[in-house]
Amino acid sequence: MEKENLLELKNVRKVFGQTVALDSVSFTLYPGEIHGLLGGNGAGKTTLMNVLYGLYRKDDGDIILKGEKVNVQGPRDAIKLGIGMVHQHFLQISNFTVLENIVLGTDVNNRYTMKLEDEAKKVEDLCKHFGLDVDLNATMDTLPVGTRQKVEILKALYRGVDILILDEPTTNLTPQEVDALFVSLRVMVNDGLSIVFITHKLREVLSVCDRITVLREGRNITSLVRENASEEIFVRAMVGESMDIKNSIYFSQGERKPVERGETNQPIFQMEDISLVNKDQVTLLKNISLTLHPGEILGISGVAGNGQRELAETVIGVKQPNQGKITLRGEEITEKTNEDLFKMGISYIPEDRLHDGFLPKANVAQNLILGYHRNKPYSDGTFINWKTVFKETRSQIKEYNIKTSGPDDIGGNLSGGNIQRVMIARAFSMPSDLMIAHNPTRGLDIPSMDFVYQKMLKRREDGFATLLISEDLDELLRMADRIAVIYRGEILGVLERDQFDKYAIGRLMSGIKDS
Amino acid sequence: MTIVKKILPYLIAVLASFVAAGIFIALMGFDVFRAYSTILFTSFRTPNGFIQTLLKFIPLVLQALAFTIPLTAGKFNIGGEGQMIVGAIGATAAGIMFANLPPILLIPIVILAGVLTGAIWGFIPAYLLYKFKINEILTTVLLNFVSFALIDYVATGPWRDPTAGHPTTITIGSNGFLPLLINNPPLHTGLLLAIAVAAGIYIYTSRTTGGYELIATGANPQAAGIYGIKVRRMFVFSLVLAGAVAGLSGALEVAGVQHRLIEGMQSNFLVLGLIIGLISRGNNLAVPFVAFFIAVLEVGASAMQRTLMIPVQMVFIVEALILLFVLLSDVVASRRKS
Repeated sequence: MEKENLLELKNVRKVFGQTVALDSVSFTLYPGEIHGLLGGNGAGKTTLMNVLYGLYRKDDGDIILKGEKVNVQGPRDAIKLGIGMVHQHFLQISNFTVLENIVLGTDVNNRYTMKLEDEAKKVEDLCKHFGLDVDLNATMDTLPVGTRQKVEILKALYRGVDILILDEPTTNLTPQEVDALFVSLRVMVNDGLSIVFITHKLREVLSVCDRITVLREGRNITSLVRENASEEIFVRAMVGESMDIKNSIYFSQGERKPVERGETNQPIFQMEDISLVNKDQVTLLKNISLTLHPGEILGISGVAGNGQRELAETVIGVKQPNQGKITLRGEEITEKTNEDLFKMGISYIPEDRLHDGFLPKANVAQNLILGYHRNKPYSDGTFINWKTVFKETRSQIKEYNIKTSGPDDIGGNLSGGNIQRVMIARAFSMPSDLMIAHNPTRGLDIPSMDFVYQKMLKRREDGFATLLISEDLDELLRMADRIAVIYRGEILGVLERDQFDKYAIGRLMSGIKDS
Repeated sequence: MTIVKKILPYLIAVLASFVAAGIFIALMGFDVFRAYSTILFTSFRTPNGFIQTLLKFIPLVLQALAFTIPLTAGKFNIGGEGQMIVGAIGATAAGIMFANLPPILLIPIVILAGVLTGAIWGFIPAYLLYKFKINEILTTVLLNFVSFALIDYVATGPWRDPTAGHPTTITIGSNGFLPLLINNPPLHTGLLLAIAVAAGIYIYTSRTTGGYELIATGANPQAAGIYGIKVRRMFVFSLVLAGAVAGLSGALEVAGVQHRLIEGMQSNFLVLGLIIGLISRGNNLAVPFVAFFIAVLEVGASAMQRTLMIPVQMVFIVEALILLFVLLSDVVASRRKS
């Protein structure tokens, strides 16, 4: 017998400009289940839930809640109907306390007194009940990401929702925090809540969800009960028929040997005792020493905002370290600027592609040569050889699958994923001894991610070094030969590939050093 | 995109502005078709008209470039007027002080003096921007006013021409006059220089690495900086180059046309330069063509006033309307896309 639906989305359609983000997507949620909404980037998962939460207006389709058709005009309506959503980017006020953030925007009758004792009691009960351990009087900006996410969940629970949507909740959590989150989710469901869990990580849905719906390119692919389905079915549903899963790196199960670092093998890149202090005397990087050998991929793991960006910018010469020494192929480059370094052969995939890497008003060809516009064959030093550049651009558009009308298409016309492909094409198109890749696969669908991984392994075979800074621990475990963990600008530990352990890395990520 | 497709919105914009202004001309009781034929064909009916147009074209194209060069790097130079005046002062001063030098020396000295003083006038806002991050729009506009006071001082000061009824200096040494391409009516060789500068700027911005860095800086200074372009230096360079180009326009007016410094000689070249630059959307290849078109309108406008008694301001309205319609075509294009 079919269970009664708590919520049903019927044939929802959403169009942005010319792209169809959702093409007649349907979705049902039963009471008391954790429902995984699985798919790669750009599959339409978040869009679908944003429609439900009232952030987007649907172009077509119905939302049926407890058997009644409802009209959600905005998040306020959604919350009234008992639907809460935790976004990937938290909406919090950083200099308010946890409690203030939680009650903010609700109808607490304390306009003149700011008395929150009763509310504090309620929230404390919620914390205890669901195992969400938070200090209510702490100021928001002092808290780690994992805790801030708990606050966001508490916000929804406090408002008495019975449907909770979590958008990629495990991004930026350490493995320990992920486990704790899953335990809490289970408690909530046992308590009668229903949860929609948006993610692109297959393993997570398999471990925590009761039912799973897969979206791809804005369409329903399949909806299955967890026990009835094998991993392969989901993999195939996520990536489509065309992808070669057997040879993919994304789904590979096989063991890879770490790179051989012989005694005689001179390192390509070395930084010794690097420290960086900003204008306000805040230490951003502290005594960092890293070594990269030919053909090595060194992963940098850490929760976002622990100095990754500063590290990348110090390596590429944008920031000058206050102390320490950096060498590239034995030559000291500590004092060299990024202009010199790009000429010497480094490449960079910036984390924040829109601000740090992309020229929206310039065309695709101009975008692809940024940083290499003084190098051969693009330029003889004075004049740019646009014929060569356009030829190269055309072949890169093809190779990297950039969706654009051609080399003279204006950058601003490109979508986020395609902009990322431009970043990747630019970095991989030039031979470089050292590549600094910061979250290189952000915003890419799985086949494109796999393509990047293939390219990275090719670099490895060719004996080039890659510094892979990533907030996606799975990516690092897949790709890196060694992983260094950064915490508050300090490297707390370096693990070899054969000692990789998610939980050990997780401890380091939260600043706990094993003795 | 084909060239026709690119030009089409401009043609429509021109047509639409003519229609819109035509309604007013008709309402004022004038013959619209005669007015427009005067505006459009005066430049091509007589040799004199054509040469007048070319003489207008020279300062206009240089003023427009003084605006679009920094615009390529994302900076706004609204000080072309002041840079032109200061350039004219520099050229005049050189022409008076070294009046006795032979032409082969004096002409380059006059021109270079104009270029250098213009560049210095462009360097002031550039330095303030580089050192103190002071907004260049503000400083370039304000320096215009300083230049007004300066020309007033020079034209009424020691070099004043007492026989003139208007603040004017004595003439520069006749050895400093630019040679003529055509004697009657006179057309000076500054035209070739202006065309060469326009071509040079186009080649520089579209073909060289330096020009690429200028474009990249204008497109996203932060990204350009991260990929090794010295962004703040590009700002300074573009503003100084713009000042030099504007200064050149002042020097050419002095050495080619007026042969002296006259207060008010900058006419309304600045505003027209901005309009040309904006209609061209900062495209340095389009600037000379648009500048020529605006020069045609300007010359036609004076003829229209003389023969038909329609105020020249009507043409200024047409020019402004063209700009508005061009900008509007952007909106239409983006609406149609989405």
